[in-house]
Amino acid sequence: MLQQGMIFPKIENRILVGIVSFLAIMILLVWAAINEGGRMRALTATFHARSIEQGALLFTANCSTCHGPNGYGGAKGPALNNPQLFGHDFFPEITRQITALQTEKADLNVEASRADTTDARRAEIAARIQEIDMQIQELDAPRRQQLQAAIDKGYDPQRPNRLQNVGWAGTTESFILTTLVHGRPVSNNYWSGGGMVAWSQTAGGPLRMDQLEDLTNYIMNWDKGSNWTLDDLFAVQQFAIEPVDGAPLLRQIEQLQASGGVLPEPVGTNVQEILVALEGVTGDPARGDAIYHNVQPSQLGALLACSGCHMAEGAGVGPQTNGTYTRTINERLNDPALAGYTPERYLVESIVMPANYIVPGFQNLMVADFGTKLTLQDLADLVAYLETMNQ
Amino acid sequence: MSVLPFPSFLDDVKEKGLRKAVFELVDESVERLTAGMNIQDIREALRGEAPSRKPNPRLQPHADGFWLHMRPSYFHADMTGIYPTFRLGWLSTYFVFFETITGILLMIWYTPSPEVAYANMINIISNVPMGQLIRDLHRLGAEAMVLIVALHMTRTWFTGTYKKPRQFTWFTGVILLVITGFLSFTGYLLPWDQLALWAVTIGASMIEATPPPIVGENLNLLVRGGPEIGANGLLRFYLLHVLALPAFLFIFTGVHYYKVIVHGHGLPPQKENIGEDTAKRVPLDKRVYFIPDVLTSEIMWVAVTTLILVVLCIWFYDAPLEHHADPQVTPLGTTAPWYFLWIQGALKLGDKVFWGIIFPTLLLGLLAVWPYLDVTPSRRYADRRFALTLFLLLISFITILSYMGLPEFGVATSPDAEIMHELTFPPAHNHVGKLLPVPYNQLVVGMYTTREIEAGRDEATSAVAAFNQEIEQNGLKGELLLELQNTHYLPINNLNFVTIPADAPELYKVMEHFNKRLQQNQDELHNPWGAFIITQNQANMKRVDIIISWDEVLIENGAPVKDANGQPVLVLDAEGNPIRRQNIHHVFIHQDAGYFAH
Repeated sequence: MLQQGMIFPKIENRILVGIVSFLAIMILLVWAAINEGGRMRALTATFHARSIEQGALLFTANCSTCHGPNGYGGAKGPALNNPQLFGHDFFPEITRQITALQTEKADLNVEASRADTTDARRAEIAARIQEIDMQIQELDAPRRQQLQAAIDKGYDPQRPNRLQNVGWAGTTESFILTTLVHGRPVSNNYWSGGGMVAWSQTAGGPLRMDQLEDLTNYIMNWDKGSNWTLDDLFAVQQFAIEPVDGAPLLRQIEQLQASGGVLPEPVGTNVQEILVALEGVTGDPARGDAIYHNVQPSQLGALLACSGCHMAEGAGVGPQTNGTYTRTINERLNDPALAGYTPERYLVESIVMPANYIVPGFQNLMVADFGTKLTLQDLADLVAYLETMNQ
Repeated sequence: MSVLPFPSFLDDVKEKGLRKAVFELVDESVERLTAGMNIQDIREALRGEAPSRKPNPRLQPHADGFWLHMRPSYFHADMTGIYPTFRLGWLSTYFVFFETITGILLMIWYTPSPEVAYANMINIISNVPMGQLIRDLHRLGAEAMVLIVALHMTRTWFTGTYKKPRQFTWFTGVILLVITGFLSFTGYLLPWDQLALWAVTIGASMIEATPPPIVGENLNLLVRGGPEIGANGLLRFYLLHVLALPAFLFIFTGVHYYKVIVHGHGLPPQKENIGEDTAKRVPLDKRVYFIPDVLTSEIMWVAVTTLILVVLCIWFYDAPLEHHADPQVTPLGTTAPWYFLWIQGALKLGDKVFWGIIFPTLLLGLLAVWPYLDVTPSRRYADRRFALTLFLLLISFITILSYMGLPEFGVATSPDAEIMHELTFPPAHNHVGKLLPVPYNQLVVGMYTTREIEAGRDEATSAVAAFNQEIEQNGLKGELLLELQNTHYLPINNLNFVTIPADAPELYKVMEHFNKRLQQNQDELHNPWGAFIITQNQANMKRVDIIISWDEVLIENGAPVKDANGQPVLVLDAEGNPIRRQNIHHVFIHQDAGYFAH
């Protein structure tokens, strides 16, 4: 039966065209399926690459002022184009040997501080420790010599892995992403240009999650795996500053107490006595800086976080840090209430007996327990540091 | 004897032998499944023979089966040909199912949330086997469906089939057209890329214009789920797209087709006397039975259409996916989907309320009620000159409005921004900025300028040297360097332009295009030059900074002011010197970004 008017008036032609089309569809689908693996891999690479491009745009606009346009870091932020961030150790064998020696030394120290250790054993231990120190020195010296340019900028060859240094158990990628999401809420304590703010909209920042993922992909794209060179390390302008975790020191102090060892004396609150004792101690302004900015704990294991209230510039809860010494001499000591004070006495008293004198315009908010948290050395270091604040 | 109280298949085998018993079992099953046709009946039908038994088994599936209960068992021979239907109604119906199936497959990997929707799309495209093909089919199918439904309506208008008694069928058809448009439009937003967000933002902004303001504002809030399209808006569009609109579409498809069957398929106008409707009275010699003739034809059309779609999607078409939606960044040249361009064009004619809301509503309303207005009995072409002219005018008008909807029409963009966009825009509408597809290894690190092209190949070296000297002397070099370093964070410490290396012909071509476009726009970009600064940003990624530099000219009402000699008038600073302007923009190109692969 012919159906006039249809494109194929004969039924067999319609069936043929239908079957051929159907078979062609099936063949095309199989052909497409066979190529899917390669296509998906190629597109995955494409999208990853485009994500990196987007990350690059975001990095240039938002991050390069602090971390540098090439990611080498600067005064306001650490390098991200940095073998340390990706945990590359240029001398893994030396690191391993030194770590083993240091472990042995720490164990010996604990043994020596135990009350039941005999004097003979103590002498043995002291000799071995001396030997260990020598060995470490020998192993470390050539490495330090090669890395001197980086060490001058804060690189520690014995701790070449940023993630390990902060005790991060996840991947580099997740480390970067969480840092972007939340920022580092207290990093303004130890970075002069202000801390790392939270960048995700979830945490109150300006960027969407997909943008942070783009940024993470961009930063991860700096990783050279095992191909990092020393030139890459030397290109770094600024390494990460690490606030020291007080816990290990506290554990050490606890171990010491448990084994009957003697803790250093806290400095107390008797200003006159302290001033006399201070005459025999030399302060280290660099260590004072570290204590002040929460980078190091005091010898008694306390984290002071002075900079939390005393910001570098501008009025925080307490007077600003910059110019402390200048203001002490030019303003504070002119106050009749402080007649006869030396700058040193004023600073010491302000730390251990903060309520004695309140700077006009501020409230009496400072905690008065620093006499129990600091040793004489800590206090000397702090004062030495504050004496450098003479802007 | 069987242990069962009735004869079993085994008994059959014993009695008739295995072959016969199996055949009878299969034959019976086929007859039950087809609701009336056994293997012999099907064979006869497919061979185009007359049925060998009575009553005609080919009518049985229509009477007893569910699937064909709504299909007529025979058609009028005058309407089963390609003319007058062009199979457009059938194909529209097919696309309803085609879109449903591909859509359900896509739903498996999609979550309607701004947080993950875009990542879902990337996953579908790059990580789901056949995912890209399914998405392409869904997208292309949607656009084809809009087109086919519109053509179906056009055909109905031309053959006058909307006339009595089929006025209501036409009315439901207009509703289906609107639903199809909205289905396509709501689907547009779901990928949550820039194209989606901005096309839908334009579309949805019209809702806001609905008078009176209190209605417009609240409708807008209701549809967008907030002042801007966000998580709520996306969810609403998704629910409209996968639930509400398909529900209406299925219902009205049912109503529409039921009306088609009730009144019979309209015959070609010239086959009937004026005023008669003989579609339901099919003489015996004019009957074309659904089984097998129409059924084979329909399946063939479906197979061929699907094949065309599959071929297009495998080799020629990829559904667009632009960058992640960003309400902060308005892309240059944003448009509504093509089938809504006519409204965007109409908006350029003036009042938003009139052209954006009242005009389209009136137009669609007029279409819907047209059969009730045009009550002339004749469906003959010769008698319908007014209606046919009107529709052709309407099509022309819509086409012109659609053209006016394009960004080329009536949207003033400064030429520097336009040229910058042309060079660098990310993949959009299956196009990409001219610079991005330059092969990675031809993006040779260095600084290049259009002066090289202006001078021609022979003079290139001296022209570039002269250019270096020129910017050194007029102080532009220092200014540019500072701006690149401080505003664009480009870590370079000197500007020294060189000629494009011979092994970078593609880069050279782009520079030629760049130069051509600058020269074409001399009126607004006076004394222009352009430059590329290519630097290595990461081991596998380059950064290209594009500079367009020109003397500012006086612009009034969007056009440069000319002096008596037809020369553009320069804007001068306090000392009477021309003011040099720069447009600087940068892009990053990763070696795996694949702009040149597509």
